[in-house]
Amino acid sequence: MDALSYLITGPMVYLSVGVLVFGMIYRIFRWLSVPASPIRLGIFPKTQGVSRTATVVRDTFLFPQVAEVNRRMWLMTVLFHFALLGVFVGHLRLLGRFPGILEAKMSESAHLAGGTMGVILLIGTLYFLFRRFKSPQKELSLPEDYFLLFLLFAIILLGDHLRLFGHIPFEVYREYAYGLLSFRPALPPALMDSPQKIVFVWHVFFANLLFVYLPFSKLVHFAGAVATNGIRRG
Amino acid sequence: MAVSISEQVRDLLKEKMNRQLLYYLDICARCGICKDACHIYRATGRVEHVPSYRAEVLRRVYNKYLAPLGRLRRDYGEVTEEDLQKMYEAAFTCTGCRRCMVYCPFGIDITWLISMEKAVLSSFGRVPEELSMLADAAVEKGKSIELYREIMAEQIKSYEPELRARTGMPEASIPIGEKGARVLYVALAGIHSILPAAIIFNLAGEDWTLSMFEAANYGYFSGETSKAAEIAKRIVDEAEALGVKEVVITECGHAFRVMKYLAGGWLKRDLPFRVRSIFQPFAEYLRDGRLKVHTQITEPVTYHDPCQLGRNGGVYEEPREIIKTICTDFREMTPNREKNWCCGGGGGLVAQTDLENYRAETGRLKAEQIKATGAKTVATPCENCRLQLALLNERYDLGVTITAVTDMLVEAVAVPAAKGETAEEISR
Amino acid sequence: MSEHNVDLELDLRGLACPLPVVKASKSIKDVPVGSVMKVVATDPGALADFPAWAKTSGNEILDIERNGSEINIFIKRMK
Repeated sequence: MDALSYLITGPMVYLSVGVLVFGMIYRIFRWLSVPASPIRLGIFPKTQGVSRTATVVRDTFLFPQVAEVNRRMWLMTVLFHFALLGVFVGHLRLLGRFPGILEAKMSESAHLAGGTMGVILLIGTLYFLFRRFKSPQKELSLPEDYFLLFLLFAIILLGDHLRLFGHIPFEVYREYAYGLLSFRPALPPALMDSPQKIVFVWHVFFANLLFVYLPFSKLVHFAGAVATNGIRRG
Repeated sequence: MAVSISEQVRDLLKEKMNRQLLYYLDICARCGICKDACHIYRATGRVEHVPSYRAEVLRRVYNKYLAPLGRLRRDYGEVTEEDLQKMYEAAFTCTGCRRCMVYCPFGIDITWLISMEKAVLSSFGRVPEELSMLADAAVEKGKSIELYREIMAEQIKSYEPELRARTGMPEASIPIGEKGARVLYVALAGIHSILPAAIIFNLAGEDWTLSMFEAANYGYFSGETSKAAEIAKRIVDEAEALGVKEVVITECGHAFRVMKYLAGGWLKRDLPFRVRSIFQPFAEYLRDGRLKVHTQITEPVTYHDPCQLGRNGGVYEEPREIIKTICTDFREMTPNREKNWCCGGGGGLVAQTDLENYRAETGRLKAEQIKATGAKTVATPCENCRLQLALLNERYDLGVTITAVTDMLVEAVAVPAAKGETAEEISR
Repeated sequence: MSEHNVDLELDLRGLACPLPVVKASKSIKDVPVGSVMKVVATDPGALADFPAWAKTSGNEILDIERNGSEINIFIKRMK
């Protein structure tokens, strides 16, 4: 295996996952180490107990109020994030088998479900990007916003290619992931000798970059959104 | 070596950092959904009126100096004089209605970021002159109140004949600073805020006394928290000295929120009395039959939820309950309650005389909303809202009467006013 | 009646909060330093508000007259 492919799909993965995990721990620790203001910022009406929790969960994952003021943005955002969750769960199959019948079912539907979600992600990313070319989002945007969208676009485009046109059996990827988990990273021959290798290596490369950058970007919202939504209902 | 503006802002931000602020600075995705929730942006379409953009300069300083790895980033410049000016315009042209917080997918409170900006600006001495002046005068009044107690009491007592006529009660009075009363009523400076409430309290047989101070807190609007705390403390001290069970705040949006939800945090202690909006006891009097309605209003009436009383104060139902009891044709605005459009007058904007045209322009959605109800009367319990609605009434030709809810209640339950004896119109 | 030479008279009767003090503080800039502005207000609060404002803004209250429900305040611009 050439050195660059090895570095990207081996050591760099460990490094970037390490930065992601420790970076996020640091960010969460940083939030919790600053004292909260005693002033309650929640809006009214207030709910208590279970119904408050339910409201916070609904706000965090569905934010239905956004649909009232910007239906298109709401639809794209919800679709994008659920597709992201789906793709994340799909990738978990790399790390082990899902219990019982689930594994077979997921395997059966992987092409269709994964492909659909991949396309949604691609459309979503482009939508978010083009939105930022227009005022007032244009003035609101920071270089970080474009950089993140570019990273996502690259990862998703390459991932979609592997999913839809790669024709490499899932077991091959799983073999690679198991290698990573047992600290013997290597690209299996079926991938090594495939023309898809270069696509795969770049997919992993951009994902690594995203992992490294994520704890230092606005994407920490995935970890903080429940808390801020809680403040609104507190 | 002199510290740069950026470093000064950085140090203040560091000193005043709190968890909510840190979350908001870290996770705002700059998606811009807040713009669709803002009456100001919807009316002007200008970038600087996008709620999250109002925190742009603050965010830039945070990202450069305080965010993790911020120092490695080269995409944020220094803060200049022009940036401070930009921050000033952002912070003091927002009404603080917090409608954007309702709609933000993360629930970010832009006004929390803006209050940090106001703290920064006040450290540079950049605060609207009117707001700062009003706050200073209120603090000073707290120090010297003993000098004026007698003469103010005399002045207020001069309204007792009218009070007796309107209640039909020869013993009706306006007790001031009476020890051991159950309720301390905190009004605004004008008699229009004292007399109608006095009529109701007397008719309902409440054990009450009037505060020497006005409920308004301009330190809160100017963002000078130490002054705001000082102004609120005058009332807290008075209530404690009199030993009242309850502090009732007049028809005023921010004053209720300040006393109920903010003052304790500023003064770092729990207040030893209950705080309620005037509508809460008034609705009880009606419910308990302590007030008898003799005249109902038949013209269509609508109600405007002041942001600080509704969305930010939680008083939605009692004023409606009162209006529905005394009016036969009550019409809701759409949307209402926590989704109600801000009138455009809050945040101390009505006190800033140079913002009149801005207020007229940005009140467009409110004006359209009022028109759509077809109501002839708009009742709203906030002096800032009423001043702003009076401006909209004139500029958009709404042809409505703008009134306080208490004034309507007085007409429904008190002895009808003899000609020439009516309490003065407030919306002049 | 008061014997002050009034250079500007301001009618603030029946104004809603916080306009009396705001308008007075704007208008006092229209008279030269050393001259006197008279305001007519109906807010009982004005009795304490104007002296407090005068003190913090560095102006001087010459006289306050109560005339039924009306309050006449004479303010000398000091700076």
